[in-house]
This record gives sequence, structure tokens and C-alpha cells, in this order.
Amino acid sequence: MYRLYSELSHGWHTLLAVSTLFLLSACGGADAPTAEESAAADADFESRKAAMLAHMQNHFDTEYSLPPAVQEAMERGEISADEIKQRAAAGEFQKFFQFKTPADIPADLTWENGMDLPDVGSDQATKGGTLYLSLSDFPRTLRRLGPDSNGSFRTWILDDTSMRFAQRHPTDTSIDSNGNFRYHPGIAEAWAMSEDRKTVYVRINPAAEFSDGMPITSDDMMFTFYFYHQPFIQAPWYNNNFKRNYTAITKYDTHTFSLTLPEAKPNVIGRALELEPMPMHFFYEFGEDYVERYQWEFVPTSGPYVLTPDNLKKGRSVTLLRNKDWWAKDLKYWRNRFNVDRINLTIIRDAAKTFEAFKKGEISFASVSLPEYFYEKLPASDPLVANGLVHRAVFYNDAPRPTYGLWINSGRPLLNNQDVRVGINYATNFQKVIDEYFRGDYTRMRTSADGYGEFTHPTLTARPFDVEKALASFAKAGFVERGPDGVLVNANGERLSFTLTTGYEALKDTLTILREEALNAGLELRLEVLDGTASWKKIQEKQHDIAFSAFNVGPEMYPRYWETYHSVNAYDVPWLPDGSVNPDRELKPQTNNLQSIANRELDQRIEAYRASDSVEEMQRLAFEMEEILYEDGSFVPGFVIPFMRVAYWRWFKWPENFHVKIANSATDGHLFWIDQALEEETRKARRSGQTFEVVDKVYDRYKTD
Amino acid sequence: MQLNPLTLRKLKRFKDIKLGYYSAITLLVLIVFSLLAELVINDRALFISYNGEWHFPTYTDVELGANYGLTGTEAVIPVDYRNLAEHFEGTENTVIMPLIPWGPYSNDTSEGVLKAQGPDFERKHYLGTDTTGRDVLARLVYGFRTAIFFAIAFTVLTYLIGVSIGCAMGYFGGTFDLLFQRVIEIWSNIPFLYMVIIVFSVIPSTFAIGTRITILLLIMVLFGWTGLTYYMRTETYKEKARDYTAAALVLGAGTARVLFRHILPNTISTMITFVPFTVVSAITAITALDFLGWGLPPPTPSIGELLKQGTANLTTAPWIVTSAFVALVFVLAVVTFIGEAVREAFDPRKFTIYR
Repeated sequence: MYRLYSELSHGWHTLLAVSTLFLLSACGGADAPTAEESAAADADFESRKAAMLAHMQNHFDTEYSLPPAVQEAMERGEISADEIKQRAAAGEFQKFFQFKTPADIPADLTWENGMDLPDVGSDQATKGGTLYLSLSDFPRTLRRLGPDSNGSFRTWILDDTSMRFAQRHPTDTSIDSNGNFRYHPGIAEAWAMSEDRKTVYVRINPAAEFSDGMPITSDDMMFTFYFYHQPFIQAPWYNNNFKRNYTAITKYDTHTFSLTLPEAKPNVIGRALELEPMPMHFFYEFGEDYVERYQWEFVPTSGPYVLTPDNLKKGRSVTLLRNKDWWAKDLKYWRNRFNVDRINLTIIRDAAKTFEAFKKGEISFASVSLPEYFYEKLPASDPLVANGLVHRAVFYNDAPRPTYGLWINSGRPLLNNQDVRVGINYATNFQKVIDEYFRGDYTRMRTSADGYGEFTHPTLTARPFDVEKALASFAKAGFVERGPDGVLVNANGERLSFTLTTGYEALKDTLTILREEALNAGLELRLEVLDGTASWKKIQEKQHDIAFSAFNVGPEMYPRYWETYHSVNAYDVPWLPDGSVNPDRELKPQTNNLQSIANRELDQRIEAYRASDSVEEMQRLAFEMEEILYEDGSFVPGFVIPFMRVAYWRWFKWPENFHVKIANSATDGHLFWIDQALEEETRKARRSGQTFEVVDKVYDRYKTD
Repeated sequence: MQLNPLTLRKLKRFKDIKLGYYSAITLLVLIVFSLLAELVINDRALFISYNGEWHFPTYTDVELGANYGLTGTEAVIPVDYRNLAEHFEGTENTVIMPLIPWGPYSNDTSEGVLKAQGPDFERKHYLGTDTTGRDVLARLVYGFRTAIFFAIAFTVLTYLIGVSIGCAMGYFGGTFDLLFQRVIEIWSNIPFLYMVIIVFSVIPSTFAIGTRITILLLIMVLFGWTGLTYYMRTETYKEKARDYTAAALVLGAGTARVLFRHILPNTISTMITFVPFTVVSAITAITALDFLGWGLPPPTPSIGELLKQGTANLTTAPWIVTSAFVALVFVLAVVTFIGEAVREAFDPRKFTIYR
């Protein structure tokens, strides 16, 4: 799943605008309801619950699994809903929600449980203590999906702290003989794959329960799909994904279900196992008003941390408490993790202030990935580090990384010329930024699909900064003469000048360097630094010339191409029926094809890649697509940050290797713990001036070249 | 030029107020200096003698390296004049750089790294550099130039609008006055800074920087003229009731003549005392906008942007915030001193028996 990646390090930070404080209405303080009132409330609840269950049953009865072709035709309006209904009645389509008995489970399945992998947490870990961190903005909702839910706060209630049916093993990244990643159990205790590799069977651990004590069952998973299918959750990606990429969900008994997928892709089990059920019993009042009704409701979680209403201080802080009776606390892979008792998240809007708070000991960790922090604001010579109060760690991780680079909108005038785009590639001096601004710590990105192992093109690299090649390429496009300000001008008097939009305030300086360098090649980049939300909106509306942005990429097995490069995501009607370019086509907003690429050859390969079941074929197609994209020149690969650099107070302890191979933030997986005696000692030492051993370590076990 | 004796006395009085007088001279010098900044603080050479020909590249079009016999890649890119001296070594060609050979946009590395460097006289960074290695002094001076001319333009435009509307309201009175007063009341209740931020955020950045500054100016003027109308209106009301106005009317003077020949010159002394304060508020506003990141687009040099960088690097690069802060306070203080002196010099109580 792609999401906008909006800051360096620290997990999924997404789209947080300046929020209005006091989003919460004042609550509490009311007198206890009278018997009559509570009776009326109960009656209301019962009627809503009945309505929800009836609606769900109706959805179960009427939802059919449509082949992708039919589904796409329906979305385009070529097939009506009535026609689907008739064809379904005629028995053409299977039902999406199916109910069977345990006897229907094939007997010859090979069940796996993933118990043969190394444990994740450290056996040294102890429980207790408080982790203090900050948020740059108060969360705008506690919903897990729907409007505003994709903000940085989701890390704390979803990404880092929830459990899935099974989780990819964070250190053993090998691929097994079935073409799957290694999974270790979470909510599931075992899973199996059908012969044709299109159905995944999952057996839920009978001990699994939500944080409110209710057991997790197959019904919750059926409900989850019903939930994701509803348009009123206002999450179109979920609506589409859970229809398009799944063909059926089948319940066998309370703890067993299966998911069927349209294609047998590599790592097919991931599509089933990396899901998380929603608690049906919590959503009895689920309906059209979901977005408002559940705005500030903490959803019972399968994970270890819970949020209670009194720990939500409007506009100020959020505190999560460890569920001491968490059902999975002693399970292999889950023990010795999630060690701190409280996670206190204070709202500090200003980055400089956050760092000062860290230096005062009010915040536990600080990301020092930016060279400015690592070398200037908290150098090894800083008293805190030199006296051993604060420790620093440089941890090299190994996973697909955010794709920082220039995304050129080839649907715009002048930029629709390939020679101009190639020229821009040669005129962009990312190497100087890396060498002189990032002090050589980061590395140049090669393609937008780096870090996928055997799916990454072995030889392609980014075009280097080369003024002569840039000028030659611009000259091919008709830009030969330099204007009085040194910017190239073509015969029509048009200047070679484009707007460069970004939402990364923190990386603004890198763009001013690119701008100065580009002027050498006669290219003018006009910088436009917007706030994250405004910039992302502009890019999604395809209003940008060139955008400096990045997608955060999940640790998946193979890159995705459809979202970002297929022509249906570039234009409304990209081609005429005869296959020629539609002259009246319009850019299609709200898709991830930021480059507005529409290339028939690419489309064919993307479709083949999507439908392919074979690793070799997908690999070949991926390489061919990368070559086409390289030729097209509409993406200028930027830099990758091959590590995370963290500064933390002395009382935090980490596993021997510091972190897991695919970690993307310090808190990922919650492997650290607090030594409370050390905390007391260190806090005292701040006053007494006592010093300790310096810890400033590099963990390069997972370093790649 | 024949000045009114009254005005001469006011000027003399202004001259006698030393603080204000010297402040005015300082400001004038600063403005003139900033106008000629390209000759003092610039990454372009002042003078080049190449193969017996003289070049003065300060104000010319961008020159490519080939003009000065550079080869390879350097021939096709704009000349780096600082390195030209090195290239000319051993030949008869000479290059003279300005006193501070850094433009507001040129990045300078220190030990191969672009970072904030403290004041360095050898590299001629007299006030150090900012976080991307750009000279702080150069950015201050060019930033000051933008700010002061922005403020002057703002003042002229707000006076033009404020004085005309205020004057018309006072002179015509009646329904016109009533209506406009309501309009102004509503208009002036719109929070100015927010409006600037909102309006400016929807302006496409495809416009050139000059255009964007002009638009910012116009938006600020649009919301900045109302304050003046109050003073102008009351002044006009008062002057209109005076005998000399009645006399002019009786003599058959038209509206325009009465307004421009009689009323306006008599109200101007009040108006003029506000000028420096309007300038101060304009400088403050544009600095505040830049500080908040809503002002001039990067990488335009500005005092607000320097302040922002400075506060973010308070401990690691104190020279940024110190320079920007001292410069801003100095400019604002100088303008305020002028304002105080003007107010005192033009104080009507000294020259009139009315009131």
C-alpha cells in the first residue's frame, strides 16, 4: 500500500495540516442518566444494531465476486448494476461471502505455523517505565480509516502497535519454496495455501482476543470485509482494493476462514495474513454516520496498547497504556516486546522546540538522520553525548525505501517533450546535494524500485549531473539560445522554466541547491514550498510541473506499477478505440500516476505483470518496465537514506543488533525497554554532573552497498 | 523651489532634532547603498580586462565561460567570476571582484560541506553564512532592499487610496460618508494577516518572483488602507468648516480646487507624521509573513527568512539570528526615530493659534 511519505524517518507521517484545537466537544460532567433515559438509549442501540446486522446480511447475500474485467467495465459504466444482478441470478458469478463447514476444508493442505523462526524481542527486556515522544499535531481522529485517518498518529493505534494474522518476519527476509516471505504467527495460529495458490486458509488462535476481552473470530473477519466494502466509510482505496484484489471470503467455523484471490502472485499469503480484523461487536451502530459517530472512538485492538478517553488531552497530549493482560504477551515473537507501561505523546508543533525538549530529557528519542542534527545540533562532542547521558545509534536497515525524487508531470506543456525531461535529468545535481549538503551519508537512488532484491533492475542507474548532455538534450527540444538571465529560450520565446513543488519544509534547502545548479544548464526551477497537505493536494490534482515528493513503500516482495504508471491513472480516456492517442484526454486527478505516463507498451506489460503468476516472468517484465521508464525520463531519482540515526537517553536499552532488518523507525516493533534504576541515576546525574561511558555506535550488520 | 515659510520652519525644526535628522541621513544612505549593492556585494566581477578588452559584467546579461576562454563544461555554463582570477593567473588578464564576492544565492562550501559557517574574514563572509552556505550579509542587504522598497511602495499606495477616500468622505459627507464608513468598518474587521496568507496561498507560483511580490503588495494594500481614512475624514471635516474654505467657495472655486489647493495642503501635516509608522508596519508585516513562510517565495533573500533559519539554529549558528535581529531592530529603530522627529517638527500646536 502506498502512502505519502512526508518527513524523514519516523514511520508513516502523513498529511497533517495545522489543526483546529478543541476538535473535541467538551464531554463528561453530565449527571447519571435516569432509568428512563437509559432504557430509551438501550432501545435506540438495539434498533441500530438490528439495522446494522440486517444491512450486513443483505450485503452478504447480494455481493458477488466479479472478474476484474467485469468489475472495471462496471466502473466505467459499460455494464449496469441490473445486468450484473441478472447475470448473478443466472449463476454466472460466485458469492463474495461464503459460509461452509469445516468438512469443506481440503484435507490435503499443508498447514504452516511459522514457529521455526528466531524470536524477535530480546530476553534481557524488562517491563515498565514511560516513553515520552512528541506529535507535531493533535490527531484529527481516532478512526482507523476514512477522512484524516492517514496521519502520523496512525502509527500509534495501527501500524506499530496492532497485530495482524501473521507478520512478516522482520529479520529473516528470505523467500520460501512457495514464493512467499517468512511469516510468524500473530492472531492466527496456522495457515495454509491451496494447490492453485489462490486460496489462503487461516486458523485463528482460540486464545486471541481484543483489548476489551471479546474473542477474535471468523465473524469479525467477515464483518471486516463488509466494513471495507461500504462507500460511507469514505475510504475509496479500501472500497476498491477489497473488491478488486479478493474474490471471496469463506467462513468454515468460529476460528477458520479462507480468502480467495484473483491472481496467484508471489507472496500470495501476505495478502491474507497481513490483514487485521475489526471487532464486529464494537461496530453495532455502524452506518451512514460512521465518519462522525466513530470520530473519537478508540477501536478495541488486538495489540498491546490501549487508549482511554481520559488519556486524550485535547490539543495537548495523548497517552497510551500497556494492556497488562494482553493475550499475546508470552507468545513467541511477541514476548519481550512492547515493554514500556505508558507511551506519552505530547503535542509540540515546532521541530526545533521538540529537539530542545529532547535535550532537556522531556522526550525520550530524537531522530538525528538529518546531517544538520547529527553533526551540528547533537554532535559527538555535545556534552550530553560526551558525558554519556545521551546515546547515539546509527542503524543500517535493509528494505525498500521512500522514493525521494523529482516527479515530472509529462502531461504539462514543454514537459511532454521527452528531450526536455531527459535534459532535466542531466541538469539535476542530486549528487552535489548528497555530497555537500547530506555530507555523503545518503546514497543516490537508482530507480524508483530500489530495494526489491531480485525484482530491482541490476544495471540501471540515475543519469548523472552533466551540463553538456543536458544542453544537448534541451537543444534537441529546440532550446538553444540563452536569455539575458541565462535561462534557455526556444524559437517561440518560451523560457525553460518550471515550478518545483514540494511539501517538505525540512528539505527545502536541498531544492535551493538543485535550483542554483540547474541554472548552469539553462534550466530555471521556481520553488514552491507548501505545507504537506496543500502540496499533496496539488500533486494529486495533477497541477504540478515537477514535484519533489516520495512514496513510502511497504516491505513488499515486488514493486507495484499499476498505481503509478498505468495510463488509466494518467488520463480519463487515454486512448481512442482504435488505439491512437485521444486528443481530448484530460489528466485524471487523485491517482498515484504523478508523472502522467501513458504508454501503450508499458500498459501491456503492467497488465501482464499484474496477471502473472510466475516470478521469472514478473522479473523480466519489471526490468523491461524500468527500462521504458528510464527512457521516458519523467522521474529523476533522488537519494535514499540507508540508515536511521537515533539519539536516545541512556536508560533506554536495545536488543543486541539494535533493531530488526526491515525497521523503518526507532519505535517500529517496540523492541526497546527501560531500565528504571538507570533512569533515576541519569536524571540525578544531570544535576550532580556525574558522567558515564560514551555510547555512540554504528550497527552495520544489515548494511548494503 | 520656493517653499512655504511654514514648511521651512518645520524642516528647520526637524533638522534641530538631532536623533531624527541623523536617522534620516542614515536611512537615506542605507537605501542608496542597497540600490548600489550589486557593486559591493555580488558574485559578478566589477571589472575584467581580457585580451586587451574591458568588461564590466555587473549589470550585463549572463555571460558564458567561453567569453573568457574557459574550456570544457565551464565554457557552456555561466562564468564563475571568483574562479576567473585563478584561471587568469600568469596572463595579462585581470579580474576585480566586489568587496564581498558573494551574491545572495551563491552557495559556498566549507570543508566540502554546505553548512552554516561563522563569520570568516578570509572567505569574506563577514557575518557568516546560512545553513546552505549563503552569505548572511548579502542576503541581509538584498533582503533589506526588497523590504524597504516594498514598504515605500506600500506607503505610497495606501496613502493614495486612504487619503482620497478619507478626503472624499469628509468633504462630501452625508450618505456617501455613512455608506463608506460602514464599508470600512466591515473591511477593517477582516483579519489582515490571515487574509494575506489565504489569498497568497492560492496565487499560482508559476508567476515570476517580481510578479509575486507585486501581488503580495497589492493584497497588503487592499487590506491596509482603511486606517488612514479615519484621520483624513475628520481632518477634512474640520478644514471644510473653516472660514478659508468658505471664502474659497464664495469666490467660486470648484470642488477639485478646494480639495487640492486648500484642504489637502492643510491636512498633510497630520498625515505626514504617520508615514514612518506605516513604513515600520509594512516592514514588520513582510518580515512576519516571511518568518511564517507565507511571504516571498524561496530562495528570495529576506530578513524574515533569515530570522526563521536563525531561530531554528539558535544554538548551532547564533550569528544568523544575531545578524538578522540586529539589522531588523536597527532599521525599525531608525525609521521610528525619524517618525518621532517628524511628528514633533510638524506638531501644529507650535505654528497655529487654532485648536
